Amino acid sequence: MTHPAPPFRSVLIANRGEIAVRIIRACHEMGMSAIAVYSDADARAQHVRLADAAVRLGPPPPAESYLRMDAVIAAAIASGADAIHPGYGFLSERAAFAKAVEDAGLVFVGPPSAVIDALGDKLHARRAAASVGVEAVPGTLDGVLTERPDQVAEAVAMAERIGFPLLVKAAAGGGGRGMRRVTNSAELVAALAAGSAEAAAAFGDGAVYLERELRPARHIEVQMLGDDTGRVVAIGERDCSLQRRHQKLVEEAPAPGLTVAERRHLHELAVRVGTAAGLRNAATAEFLRTPDGAFYFLEVNTRLQVEHGVTELAMGLDIVHEQFTLAAGRPLSDVALAAAERAADPDSHAIEVRLAAEDPARDFAPGPGRVRRWVMPAGPGVRVDTGIVDGDRVPPDYDNLVAKILAHGQHREMAIDRLRRALDETEIAGIQTTLPFHRFVARHAGFRAGDVSTDWVAEHWDGPADRARAVGAAANAAAMDQAAATRAFVPGSGPADEASDWAAAARAESIDRWPR
Amino acid sequence: MTRLRVTDRASGDRVGDLDPAAESVSAPPSPDERPIVLRATTPSRVRGRTSVEVVVAGWRFELEVEDADLADLRERATTDRAAALHDGPTEVRAIIPGRVISVDVAVGDIVAAGQRLLAVEAMKMENELRAPRDGIVERVTTATGQIVEPGDTLVIIL
Repeated sequence: MTHPAPPFRSVLIANRGEIAVRIIRACHEMGMSAIAVYSDADARAQHVRLADAAVRLGPPPPAESYLRMDAVIAAAIASGADAIHPGYGFLSERAAFAKAVEDAGLVFVGPPSAVIDALGDKLHARRAAASVGVEAVPGTLDGVLTERPDQVAEAVAMAERIGFPLLVKAAAGGGGRGMRRVTNSAELVAALAAGSAEAAAAFGDGAVYLERELRPARHIEVQMLGDDTGRVVAIGERDCSLQRRHQKLVEEAPAPGLTVAERRHLHELAVRVGTAAGLRNAATAEFLRTPDGAFYFLEVNTRLQVEHGVTELAMGLDIVHEQFTLAAGRPLSDVALAAAERAADPDSHAIEVRLAAEDPARDFAPGPGRVRRWVMPAGPGVRVDTGIVDGDRVPPDYDNLVAKILAHGQHREMAIDRLRRALDETEIAGIQTTLPFHRFVARHAGFRAGDVSTDWVAEHWDGPADRARAVGAAANAAAMDQAAATRAFVPGSGPADEASDWAAAARAESIDRWPR
Repeated sequence: MTRLRVTDRASGDRVGDLDPAAESVSAPPSPDERPIVLRATTPSRVRGRTSVEVVVAGWRFELEVEDADLADLRERATTDRAAALHDGPTEVRAIIPGRVISVDVAVGDIVAAGQRLLAVEAMKMENELRAPRDGIVERVTTATGQIVEPGDTLVIIL
């Protein structure tokens, strides 16, 4: 079998952290050079060390470094890259960036700028879904205005038709920004104003709309790939229900408890939206599933998702490899088509947890710092995606993700068992991470039974109590360590001259280097 | 084996008072709760305490360990100092073991806070003991040349 030619000669990765590392690895696997970019906070970061070349963008704040479109494109041109992979976050969903890359004669590894533009506006996406008969979460299909008294009255009437509690959401939004929860019509006007102001500040677009808050619900999303012929396929779904503050904590593929028929139906809904939008490359359609089994369309993310790895493990393909070959204009690969073929009836299961520098006993408050000991889990069915090596700092300027720990097994129970085992092997010190929460999830009977929803964390997790249970063991460990240190310090008081045995062994080792 | 006191660095709360030789402490932790113990990056602000970072089951603790007897002594000294703000006798106690090399006050002397009362030599080092507050020396319970142990009362100030 001949090895296919690399889709590009050289790729610039317009990102940092674990996702930059993950994309650099794909570049090297496919025989392409990888060009990193970095801010001053990341000058010695792992993505810079792994890349074939690296270009400085500026000081740590994202607006002065990773968000500088001109600097990123100039770096690509100067370093001779022929494509730019944006990763997730930063510039990945900015249509203007994709357009500027295209205009510079470079390839943007992702959907075309026109598709990003169309689907990036959530109202546009909701209308696109409605136009192909895919039901979106109940709410408005147009922006809600509150400038004139009659508009306010209309907004209140619409809200009452939709029903409370509802959410005010930013059309250009993401990650919960610009979002407000409203429980009655009296709160509505203030929430619209506040949401709009926040959206305008964050996204430069103050348009907001109303959406019913569906609770309890599961967050299920469909991975899509599309090629230049207009063909769009679904590579299975992921359940991302375990969230706090609309940020995902745990993801898995496939979604537990769905029948093959339900999966087929869900994938078909996603493909319908993707095809209608003219999707190319990779994107994800997000849905909410209510307890009655109905799926409601939420939005489309026109980029590689943080949690793409669980689909890769469960479905047996490399999504970043696919992104590169699709971006080079090649058709959907045989591997991708085969994965799409078995997507409704996958034969393995994968779970990912996001190990973040946050304190799960203090409502997941972020806490950057230097990692002092970092022993990653390994072994059968375990994958770790990280941009952190021992001694690195988790900088306060960017998101708190330290590592994604993924476990893969023939079925969900095996994946959970491997996850639990992997998390027990994980060692990290210097910063507080979300590890205790993930250990709790991996042991929880309800989670094992597949009983998940977006309310799960609030209903089941008591961080302070979990932490309090560990205090005694920590105090014991501290005392034991101190006692051992004292024994070692006083000659002859330790167990049978331990120190001199070590010294003797070290001497023997330095002389006896070669096997006899 | 001495008893060890473990204190939470941030809150100052006592989280354990343990005898490392005791069975309950030396029992190995279950494999899924293997602790990580590292020296802290910054030393304790309190003399005689060792600062450590401990991670158990993913939870990170900044703890300080010290000899429990010394900790009790310090606690008592602190309490005495607090009490000194009110009326009543204040006991000045030895905080290190050693030999008294000079006694600079006698019963009935009026002393000011910070004034030298006596000196104890330990490991060739002279350690001065000073008056914690203004007062009158009510009793001197030691003399030059005497060996003292931590906690021994040396001078009482009224």
